[in-house]
Amino acid sequence: MKYLSICDQYLEQRKFGRKTGQLLTGAVSMMLIVCSLPFVDWIRLVNTSAFFEKQGITEEMASTLRSGYSIFSLLGFVQNSGMGALGLYAMLLLLVLAAAWYFLVSYIWKIVRNRRDADGKGELRTYTAGKTAMLLAALLTVGSYGFVLYANDVAGMKGFAGSWIIGAELAAAIAAYVVIKRMEARERVRCREHGLVRELQKNWVLFLMLVPIAVFFLINSYLPMVGIYFAFVNFNFTDGLWASPFVGLKNFEFLFQSQMGRLIRNTVLYNVVFIGLGNVIQIFFAILVSQITVKWFKKTGQTLMFMPYFVSYVMLKVMVYSLLEYQYGAINNAIRSSGGQAIDFYNTTIYWPFLITLFYLWKSVGYGMVTYLATIMGIDNEMYEASKVDGANVFQRIRYITLPQIKPTFIILLIYSLGGIMKGNFELFYQTVGNNGLLYEVTDILDTYVYRITIGQPLSIGLGSAAGLFQSIFGFVVVMLTNWVIRKKEADYALF
Amino acid sequence: MQAEKSKKIKLSRADKTFNILAFSLVGIAAIICVLPFVLVVSGSLTDNYVILTEGYSLWPKQFSLDAYKTIFGNPASILQAYKMTIYYTVVGTAAGLFVTTMTAYVVSRKEFKYRNVVTFLLYFTTIFGGGMIPWYLLYANVLNLKGTTFVIWFPGITSSFLVILMRTFITGSVPDAIAESAKMDGAGQFTIFTKIVMPVLKPGLATVGLFLALGYWNDWYRSSLFSTSSDTYELQFYLYNMLSASTALKDLTVGTTISIDNLPTQSVKMAMAVVVTGPMLLLYPFVQRYFVSGITVGAVKG
Repeated sequence: MKYLSICDQYLEQRKFGRKTGQLLTGAVSMMLIVCSLPFVDWIRLVNTSAFFEKQGITEEMASTLRSGYSIFSLLGFVQNSGMGALGLYAMLLLLVLAAAWYFLVSYIWKIVRNRRDADGKGELRTYTAGKTAMLLAALLTVGSYGFVLYANDVAGMKGFAGSWIIGAELAAAIAAYVVIKRMEARERVRCREHGLVRELQKNWVLFLMLVPIAVFFLINSYLPMVGIYFAFVNFNFTDGLWASPFVGLKNFEFLFQSQMGRLIRNTVLYNVVFIGLGNVIQIFFAILVSQITVKWFKKTGQTLMFMPYFVSYVMLKVMVYSLLEYQYGAINNAIRSSGGQAIDFYNTTIYWPFLITLFYLWKSVGYGMVTYLATIMGIDNEMYEASKVDGANVFQRIRYITLPQIKPTFIILLIYSLGGIMKGNFELFYQTVGNNGLLYEVTDILDTYVYRITIGQPLSIGLGSAAGLFQSIFGFVVVMLTNWVIRKKEADYALF
Repeated sequence: MQAEKSKKIKLSRADKTFNILAFSLVGIAAIICVLPFVLVVSGSLTDNYVILTEGYSLWPKQFSLDAYKTIFGNPASILQAYKMTIYYTVVGTAAGLFVTTMTAYVVSRKEFKYRNVVTFLLYFTTIFGGGMIPWYLLYANVLNLKGTTFVIWFPGITSSFLVILMRTFITGSVPDAIAESAKMDGAGQFTIFTKIVMPVLKPGLATVGLFLALGYWNDWYRSSLFSTSSDTYELQFYLYNMLSASTALKDLTVGTTISIDNLPTQSVKMAMAVVVTGPMLLLYPFVQRYFVSGITVGAVKG
C-alpha cells in the first residue's frame, strides 16, 4: 500500500508522470517480447543422460534434442522426444504466448500513437490492452513453471528445470501491471468511467443471468477449441487421446496429398452455386410473389413454397428415394412407361451435382424468399405509386426501385454465406447420398468426410480434426477479410 | 385521392405480361414444392405389390392400408421414438427459451457495459470453432455422456442467431423508457425481466420457441452420434434407420446390375415417413406465420 501511494504521488506530482509511466511499462513490454524470442531458453534439460535413458530416447533421437528450450521451440521437443503427453500443455503455452505478444505489441503501438479516443474513453483502451498483456505475460511465466513441474511428473524424475528468466519476467509483468492499473485509475476518474468491479457491484443480477449461457457456450463451443490439438497428433489407442505422439503438420500434409483437393473443390463449388443460384432464385420469386395482387393465391403460393423448409432432411431422403430408386422410383417408372432406358442414379456420378443443387433449392427457396419478401414489404409504397403516375411499367419499377432497395439485404446475406463457404450443408449431402462410396468423387464434402471419421474411424481422428481445423480457419479468414473490405468500401453494411 | 388515381391508370401491356408470368411461375413452383409430399403419401397408400411391379406414382394405383396396419400392428418402437422426441422437444425448448430470453434481455440493456463484448463472444462461435471431432470427443469421452438423454437435447438449446433474434424482439417491444422508469421506482433487474419484459414478449417467445421445437423435432444427427440403444432414438433417426436397412442392402448391389427383390416392404417406408412427419405438417398452417415473422424480424435487423 505504501509503495502504491508513492507510485501515485510520483505519477501525479511530476508533469510528465503519465509519460514516464507509459515509457516504463512500454519498456517492460519490449523486454517481455525480447525475452520470449526463440533464442532465449526458458526451460533447460538437466540430468540429460539419465533422463534420456529413462524415457527410452535413443542416441539418434537425442542428437536432435537441444539442451534448452523456449516456449517457441517446446513443441519441437515434444515431437522429437516422442513425449506426447506434454504436447497439449506446450501448445496451450504457445497460444498464451501468441495472445500475450498480440497485446504487448498493441499496447506499445497505442502508446506510440498516443491518441485519445473521441468517445469519452480517453486512454482507457490503451490501458486495457496493457493490463491484458501483463496478465497474459504473468500467466505465461506461471504456466511455464507449471510445465516444468508437470513434465518432471510425467517423466518421473527431475529432467527439466526452469531458468531464472521466468522469475524475472513474472516480477516485471506484475510491477508493470500495478503501474498501468494506477494510471488507468486516474484516467477513469477523468473520463467518469468505471471498471469491472464497479460494474459487477452495480449489475450483479445481469451477470448472474448470463451464467447459464456462459456454461452452455463454454461446453458447446469454447472447450472443444482445446481439441484443435488433435489435428496435430497421430492418434493410437495405446497412448490414448492425450498422449498420442505429436506429429506437427503431418496430418495436413497427408490430407493435401490425398483427398483434400477433391473435398475442397466439392465444398466450395457447391457453395458458390448454392449461394449464387439460391439468392437469384429467391429474389426472383420474392419479387413475383410480392407483385401478385390476388390475396389467396399469394398466401397459398407462399405457404406451399415454404413447406419444404419445415420437414427434416430424413424426409428429403424418403422423397429422393421414391423419386430416384432404380426399380421403383417415380422417375424411372415414367421413363420406362414411355419406352426409355431406366437410369441408375445411385451408380452414376454425372447427375448428382444437378440433383443436389435441385434438392438444395427445393428445401431453401421458400425460406430465402421470405427474407427478401420482408425487405420488399418494407419499401415505401409511395415510391411505387409515384413511378406508376410517371408511367413506369412493372419491369422498370423492379429494376429501379425494388432491386436497389434489396441490395443491403442481399449483401448482408452474402457475407453471412461467404463465411460458411468451407462449411457444407451436411444434412443435405448425407441424407441424399449417404455412405455411397461410388458417388464420393462428386458429392463428398469436408463435413461428410469428418462425419464418417467421427462415427466410424477413430484412428483417423487426427486427419478429421485437421480437416475440421482447416475448415474453421479458412472460414474465419474469409469472414474477416470480407468484413474488412466492406468496412472500407461501405461501412453501413459491415457486420462488426 | 392518390389510390383513386392509381386505379384509373390502365394496366400496360408489360404489366399484364408480368402478371401472367408471376401467376404461372409461382403456381408451378408451389406445385413442385408439394409434389414430393404427394408422392410419399401416395406411396404409403399403395399396395406393396403394385409398387414392386410398377414403382411409385403420384396417385395410388391400387389403394391399400396394409402399410399403416403393419406399423400400428406393432407400434412399440415407434411409440418409444415418439415419446423420446416429445420429451427432447419439450425439455429442450423450455430450457432453450429460458436461457435465450435471459441472455437476450441482458445484452439488450444499454446500462450493461459489456453487452457488446458478450454479443461478440456469442457471434464468434459461429465464425470459428474447434470442429466436429473435438466437439464429439468432449461430450462422448471427456464428459462421458454417450447414451444419455441429456446429450441429445443439451447441445441444441440455443444459438447466437436465436439470441440476436430475441434481442430484436425485446428492443422492439419494450421501450427503454419503461424499463428505466421501473428502475427509478426501485424494481430490480430480475423484476423488470419477469414483470415487464416477459408479459409483452409473447410473439418473440412463440417464434423462438417454435424455431427451437422444429430443430428438435427434425434432428437425427445427435442420435446418430450419441445414442447407444434404440430406447433413446429420436424419431427422425428411427426413420433414418428404417430406410438405411434397405440402403445398406442397396450398397451391396453397388457396382453390379443385380436388383434385390427381397427388400423390406416399400409402402411401409413411406407410411413410416408419413407417421413421423404428419403431426408437424398438420401444425404447419397454424404456426407458419411465427416462422415468417421470425425471419422477417431477423432480416430487417440484418
